[in-house]
Amino acid sequence: MTKIQINGREVEADPKQPLIRACHDQGVDVPMYCYHPGLAPVGSCRICQVEVAGAPGQPSRVVAACRTPVSEGMVVSTDTPKAHDTRRECLEFLLKNHPLDCPICDKAGECDLQDYAFNEGQGKGRSSEPRRKLEKRKSLGDVIVLDEERCILCSRCVRFFTDVTKKAQLTVEGLGSHSVINTYMDKPLEGNYQGNLADICPVGALTSKKFRFQARVWNLSKTLSTCGECSRGCSISVESLRAKQVKRIRPRYNAAVNQWWMCDTGRHALAPLTRALAPEGEVLGGRLRTAAVRGYNGLECSDDVAALDLAADMLASHPGTLVIVSPFATQEEAKAALALAQALKATPQFVSPAPNALKDDLLHTGDPCPNRRGLLELGFGALAPADALAALAVAPSAVLAGERVLELLGHAGLALLPKKLRLVAFDVEASDLASLDIAFPVPTHVEKSGHWINVDGRVGVLNVALPPPALVRRLDLQLAALTAKLSAVPQGS
Amino acid sequence: MVVVQRKELTLAERLYLPEVLRGLSLTFRKFFEKPITRQYPEQPLPTDEVTRGQPRLVVKDDGNIACVSCGMCEVACPAYAITIDGGETDRGIEREPKRFEIDMLRCILCGFCEEACPKDAIFMSNELELADFTRAGLVYDLEKLKRPKSALQERIDYVYRLNNRWRSKQ
Amino acid sequence: MEAFLADVPEWILWVAKVALIFGGLIGTAALMSLAERKVSAWMQFRHGPNRVGPFGLLQPLADGIKFIFKEELIPEGANKFLFRLAPALAAIPSMMTIAVIPIGTIVVGEKKIPFSIAQLDLGIMYMLALGGLSVYGAILGGWASNSKYSLLGGLRASAQMISYELTLILSILVIVALSGSLDLGAIVTAQRENGLWNVFTPFGAVAFVLFTIASFAETNRHPFDFAECEPELVGGFHTEYSAMRFALFFLGEYCAMTVMACLNATLFFGGPSVPLWPEAPWFLGILAFLLKAGFFLFLFIWVRWTLPRFRFDQLMRLGWKVALPIALANVLVVGAWVAFTAKGS
Repeated sequence: MTKIQINGREVEADPKQPLIRACHDQGVDVPMYCYHPGLAPVGSCRICQVEVAGAPGQPSRVVAACRTPVSEGMVVSTDTPKAHDTRRECLEFLLKNHPLDCPICDKAGECDLQDYAFNEGQGKGRSSEPRRKLEKRKSLGDVIVLDEERCILCSRCVRFFTDVTKKAQLTVEGLGSHSVINTYMDKPLEGNYQGNLADICPVGALTSKKFRFQARVWNLSKTLSTCGECSRGCSISVESLRAKQVKRIRPRYNAAVNQWWMCDTGRHALAPLTRALAPEGEVLGGRLRTAAVRGYNGLECSDDVAALDLAADMLASHPGTLVIVSPFATQEEAKAALALAQALKATPQFVSPAPNALKDDLLHTGDPCPNRRGLLELGFGALAPADALAALAVAPSAVLAGERVLELLGHAGLALLPKKLRLVAFDVEASDLASLDIAFPVPTHVEKSGHWINVDGRVGVLNVALPPPALVRRLDLQLAALTAKLSAVPQGS
Repeated sequence: MVVVQRKELTLAERLYLPEVLRGLSLTFRKFFEKPITRQYPEQPLPTDEVTRGQPRLVVKDDGNIACVSCGMCEVACPAYAITIDGGETDRGIEREPKRFEIDMLRCILCGFCEEACPKDAIFMSNELELADFTRAGLVYDLEKLKRPKSALQERIDYVYRLNNRWRSKQ
Repeated sequence: MEAFLADVPEWILWVAKVALIFGGLIGTAALMSLAERKVSAWMQFRHGPNRVGPFGLLQPLADGIKFIFKEELIPEGANKFLFRLAPALAAIPSMMTIAVIPIGTIVVGEKKIPFSIAQLDLGIMYMLALGGLSVYGAILGGWASNSKYSLLGGLRASAQMISYELTLILSILVIVALSGSLDLGAIVTAQRENGLWNVFTPFGAVAFVLFTIASFAETNRHPFDFAECEPELVGGFHTEYSAMRFALFFLGEYCAMTVMACLNATLFFGGPSVPLWPEAPWFLGILAFLLKAGFFLFLFIWVRWTLPRFRFDQLMRLGWKVALPIALANVLVVGAWVAFTAKGS
């Protein structure tokens, strides 16, 4: 470690890191546009300039903190008039061609340029030249839209592809004030990591097509959570609007798992989280609202306590129950399922769909079971959907528990199950199966708290980002209630 | 301690009757004066450019709404009366409100939205009357809020004048 | 026409008079409810009711319809029989007293028809007896409501009415002594024969002031409306009343006011006699009576919107320590004067 002085304070800094990191580590605010801790520094925006005292007798210098390595005895000031003036002039150049789009721009509210212009910028531009007129809605593939006017040419996006995905797709095209960001040969962007561009762009030049104009960012409430699309379990922030709908999912820095990035599959996995409720009083046609019990006319809405009693009676009178949970089950839910399996003298198992083709070298593991490791550690057996269906076909009764368990088993396969099978399902959505007798609603993984264990054994936390629908209770509590009822019912009666 | 000095009453005052007659004569004189009550629905309150009535959205001369749903009024609103959902449009401004609701029961007519608007899209009209049979009917949607620019021109000019006066002091 | 009127049987005339006078009384009461609001409005630079009919003239009708259709509430624990009886007790006696007021004389050819329902020799006794009954309306209404406000209002009303009844009677007694008759018609005749209204005689003037004050208290009007007294007692004895029964109390109050105004005009202002023109035609006499009574009705309203309410102890002090001694002294002096002058013999 090296000793340096930042704003009059003696601190220790890592000599392998640029000066800006040392400042940020000490809580000293140095603005940055082109610098990103996950990307190689280039020093193109010059907004991170700080004053460094010269050798004795020499005047102080203003240097770009992102390109200056820490050296022993460095005396750094970020707050001097000289540093401010330099940055302000730099900012004026950046704002020279930046359109006054903030009311329209999706980045407004989380825009570095906006924040720093608000803090430091002048109220008026001094330039009498017109601003650059460039393409405002240039599509760069399925995920990203480029607004060339807003771009400040920091080249973060260019470096993202060279440094992170190791497959260069973007470049700065043209010279001087004609420079714009473009793809090679105007080909659309590809890959599973394009969405990160919208996050790393310091201005509103690169925006997500899915999120475009969906919400103002200051209206989004952000909840720390974990991605469930693969067993990597990237740390994410679930952002919901007015406690009603998840509007976007963004990665959140986690040095040990995903750093600053996440894949587009996880980022755009909003459909399972934004499913509409079934019509009032109905079981099918959307998410389950209440418990449902098979009556003369198929599944009918029921009181959940009555349904639970019925389920306990049914399972007790049909011994030999299979207990199969969803791979989305949290550790807490798995524990409850374990207790249930013990009460039913069953072997706990979970549905383990085959790995998908999304596996890559960066984050995606290709394994669609976010809690595989946790379930295995608790003693659950992995069961391929085909095996599970085969076992169900001969079982007298079964409990299927967890978010999307029916979907993962395959509705086509489930439809072939014999009618004599007594099936109790805990799922987000019921389905019209002849063998499904009792269904209970469960919250989705953004509506509950819990823990998943990822492929490397790291714990991912789930938090409640949205309130679950009114009558939907936590799965672990429902399973515990069922276990309690079962132990009250005489076995084999 | 406060000592209240009671006025010594004269005999005439204590007799009360002369004072009663004095009072009666006063009310009798007032009897013939002109009423100052305003007969409200027939004689509405005069409004002018300074009147801060309910906020309304400007429809520009080309028939498009000036609002780009930036959400500034939503943020500025101290009564949380405004709800905006934006969406993409093919027009040059890219973004326009798909849903713009002002809950007039919540609106306190403070004019912060007008002040906050960067696009001169929302102005305080001189419309003040607010009545309906349901609460839902008083949550005004886009169609109820739209007003042609000409209808709001007086207020727009006033706001510009006001802002210019403020700017010249800078 | 005249021949026809001269030939109609007595009972038809009688029925017609009853219909006319009672109708007039109730009409006046209805109009008074409008006048009260109009006059108060004008005194306060307002318009008053002006939405129903021209100048709001149909307002009493609208009020009546509203009262009829409103839901009637009887409080829990109320004495239902007395609760229902009280408004009638308040309204009926004050309506009945109009019967003996001589409004004038209708002259048809040679026939003179006295324009009053009954020409009782004991007219004043009849009036006072019935007038004294109306206190039952207030006190029973107050008691039967099973409400503290009503009870207090009823108590105050009865205390006040009984206190001022003395003054009222004593001031009437002066006129009776001066005229030598209990018949209101005779009192009017006496004033006409004297050529001088009672109010212009020294004793009569004192009696007039006392009578006016007492009549305000008797009818529960400002500044003596302690029976209602909104700021203290919500609504006084009729707090719990609603709909038509509530309206009956008001009707009773306005009828009582009308009768008091008529009585004032009769006792002190010569009733239907036209000033300075003893031979005036009969219809002018009736008109004069109506104008005089109208003035006192206006006075009731005028005073109400001018004076603040007394305090209850002030009211009692005024009644017992000021008005009553003066009235007694007045009666004493008039009695002596009548006894020792030729007039009395």
